[in-house]
Amino acid sequence: METALDFRVVWEYLSYFFIGRYPKGPVGGVALTLYLAAVSLVFSFLGGLVLGLLSVSRNRPVRWASMAVIQTIRGMPLLMVIFWMFFLLPALFGGGMPASWTVITALTLFTSAYMSEIVRAGIMGIPKGQTEAAVSTGLSHRQTMLHIVLPQALRNMIPSFVNQFVSMIKDTSLAFIVGVSELTQIANQVNNRTMLFPTEIFLFIAVVYFIMCFAFTELSRWLERRLAYSKAI
Amino acid sequence: MRGKTILLVAAMALVGSLYGSSMAADTLAGVKAKGVLVAGVKDSLPPFGSVDPNTKEYVGYDIDFIKYIAKKLGVKVEFKPVTSANRMPMLMESRVDILAATMTKNPERAKQIDFSYTYFLTGQKFLTKKGTVKSLKDLEGKKIATAKGSTSEQNVKKSVPSATILSFDDYPQGVLALQQGKAIAVTTDESILAGQLGKLEKNPATKGRYEIPDVQISEEPYGLGMRKGDAKFVKFVNDAILEMEKTGEAKKIFERWFGPNSDSPINRGSFAIAADKRGT
Repeated sequence: METALDFRVVWEYLSYFFIGRYPKGPVGGVALTLYLAAVSLVFSFLGGLVLGLLSVSRNRPVRWASMAVIQTIRGMPLLMVIFWMFFLLPALFGGGMPASWTVITALTLFTSAYMSEIVRAGIMGIPKGQTEAAVSTGLSHRQTMLHIVLPQALRNMIPSFVNQFVSMIKDTSLAFIVGVSELTQIANQVNNRTMLFPTEIFLFIAVVYFIMCFAFTELSRWLERRLAYSKAI
Repeated sequence: MRGKTILLVAAMALVGSLYGSSMAADTLAGVKAKGVLVAGVKDSLPPFGSVDPNTKEYVGYDIDFIKYIAKKLGVKVEFKPVTSANRMPMLMESRVDILAATMTKNPERAKQIDFSYTYFLTGQKFLTKKGTVKSLKDLEGKKIATAKGSTSEQNVKKSVPSATILSFDDYPQGVLALQQGKAIAVTTDESILAGQLGKLEKNPATKGRYEIPDVQISEEPYGLGMRKGDAKFVKFVNDAILEMEKTGEAKKIFERWFGPNSDSPINRGSFAIAADKRGT
């Protein structure tokens, strides 16, 4: 019954895989996956940094509040967060919000919570002597954090960040639940239309996901090497 | 499927709590004012709704009905993809004006939204090897394949209690079991079976060896979904689809997607769009 793999289906639908309905409709496919991942990456880096700093704050109520937020988000499946945001955000901010932005918000919230723990671990991993030395030179707590602790800590966090971001690139595939036509949803559409080539189609998108994640990892390795020159500890 | 149901219930509760009792807005006037009809459709379920990758336009049975209604309204049409899990909240939140998304009419759904008359009628049938099944009797005591947790599974257990039901994750696995002789039949909605039969017909090794005999155990009437209590819009849509039946447009659309030369040929039988009360 099985015959050899026939990748012509991928070739035939190539433009659809990469840009979706564009220019006849919204961008989809690989382009949308990259867009979702890139925007969420920037926002969740900032979100993770802020949440992480709040969770090591010396102010107890602030610390507890941020830990509560982190624990709540980490305790929910991402699929659920995406689904909730899809209904919650337009209800709060009006119906004009595109579905892709509800997904970006969900990914940002979810990834920020994980990132904040990486930030916290990174800050706590810097030896206490660094802080003590900085404070004894007359720097304030804020200055110590900004100029002494964070620059060293952030560099140490890079591998964990990359881990989290690679995971997030793949998490964009969950956007299918709300009908956002990113790469996985496009693959489903093409498969449901053609019916005969599921192996070829899903093998192809697996390779595309791999290339995206691998390229991102290589980029960050390069960044890591660039930043290694002034490593103190 | 159970996970999806929980999500759906959660979302409905959320939407309900945010909106309270939904107001009956005048969709007809609203659509005419903004000059566009926003329709929620399936984007990966041919032949009902999918995107043609060459033209990058939505195509399908559901799509053609919406296009007709929009034309009659004199407005443009915008398609928004919906899933089975989010279509009803999308409608109730006014993010779409109408749903044409293979929705079976049933009393539970009719409590939340209004349905048009039945625009597509399918029923649960069986896919079998040619000549093996002529009536329900032929299935007694045999093995029948279907999908886990579906309404099809419950229906067949009621209709043929003596049969052994093999429940798979999805229908294509059931078809494989049928091909390998592990089951005598696969059962679900005829519109889905027709697609599977079409796939078997495309394969030279299985061409002409399978069929869907005329044995039906349940009725699944599909309706267009509209917001509750918007009587003017419901009447407009009902009049439009009745007109489509009268002018032969409805039959033409059916032949285009389900006719003998389509990928999923099925028989329209005696079905015609009429002022029916199916699924209420």
